[in-house]
Amino acid sequence: MNQILNTVSAMFIPALLTIILVHGFVRKVNVYNLFLEGCKEGLTTAVEIMPFIIAVFAAITVMTDSGALSWIEKACEPVFKLLGMPSELTSFMIMRPISGSGTLVIVESIAEQYGPDSFICRCASVIMGSSETLLYAVAVYFGATSVKNMRHTVPAGLAGYIVGIWLSLILCRVM
Amino acid sequence: MNKVWIIMFLMGIACYGIDSIFGIGNTSGKGFTDGLLTSCEEGVYFVIGLAGVMGLWSGFMNIARGSGLIHALAEKCRGLMKALFPEEKDEDTLMLMLMGFTANIFGAGNSATVFSLQAMKRLDEENGESPLASNTMCMFASVNMSMLQLVPITVIQVRANAGSASAEDIILPSIIAGAASTLASIMVCKWAEHRAVRLKMPGSLHYKSARGAWTGGNDSEISDSDVSSIKKKAV
Repeated sequence: MNQILNTVSAMFIPALLTIILVHGFVRKVNVYNLFLEGCKEGLTTAVEIMPFIIAVFAAITVMTDSGALSWIEKACEPVFKLLGMPSELTSFMIMRPISGSGTLVIVESIAEQYGPDSFICRCASVIMGSSETLLYAVAVYFGATSVKNMRHTVPAGLAGYIVGIWLSLILCRVM
Repeated sequence: MNKVWIIMFLMGIACYGIDSIFGIGNTSGKGFTDGLLTSCEEGVYFVIGLAGVMGLWSGFMNIARGSGLIHALAEKCRGLMKALFPEEKDEDTLMLMLMGFTANIFGAGNSATVFSLQAMKRLDEENGESPLASNTMCMFASVNMSMLQLVPITVIQVRANAGSASAEDIILPSIIAGAASTLASIMVCKWAEHRAVRLKMPGSLHYKSARGAWTGGNDSEISDSDVSSIKKKAV
């Protein structure tokens, strides 16, 4: 089962490229010229989003490096305890929506401290695997647009994240 | 975004100040300015790394567009995408969004970012570069953020490196939890869309007509002034 999923994941991009190329060839379109045309468009987009990415990276670094995030963690700890979340995972859960590499470092230290097959580490891994760097993604996605009011995007994303955490904890207990 | 960004910076600087005065030791230990400069550098490297993938995928998507593959696939996936994005008409945009989802599911993070960014840019244009996000944008962003991933390869790697007996046994729970979180996000989005219509909030699908019927006035004038007032607030 896991082996199949691994193979499917690894085959996704090669398969997709093959389909596109073969389809283009069969339909007799000028594949190479179309590629160059699209590529140029993509590179323009990359340059356009550069300012937003720098803005997001800088702000997140300021928050994590200065320890502002640790303060937020401390403030959230009682709330997490009240909700029955393992306190070992507080900083992990707060870091997860913000920074992917930061979370990975935390998972590494959890795996070292509690063992990779411990309940805590399994929870952290499942939460990591079932969620995204939500706030960071919002900043990047909407940074590229002229939107100032994101309406229900963040609440909806956070609701998904919370449901994911909650279910991860339950699944790790039973599975 | 404007306020959040300022708050993030000021909060960080304040914490840094408190920390260096009282010596609490919450900071990363790197100097404030050094860390900031490194992060800017990382941002540029990130975009440059992304630029190649972005060029590649845009090129291949353009081939698929030219050969009619996008059109054919969009026809096939119409049902699913219509349910999620009832307001979206543009085939290319729908396809980019679908590609963003699929790339996310298969764990191709960089490609997913590329598809999503381009989809967002197109949605922004379709939305008239309004400061108010459209229903489609909200739904797309929040679903994409809570998308499930078939094989969370980095976590598995970390566990394997730490000497786990069965590093891969997190795959199934991850998929279940991920699917549930995606569903929850979709439900919240749909609920918020209906709520916006019910409360005649700006940005809802029937806002213009609802607002027009409600005030009995000229709806386009009202919504224009509304948008500009939001613009002013945001600036």
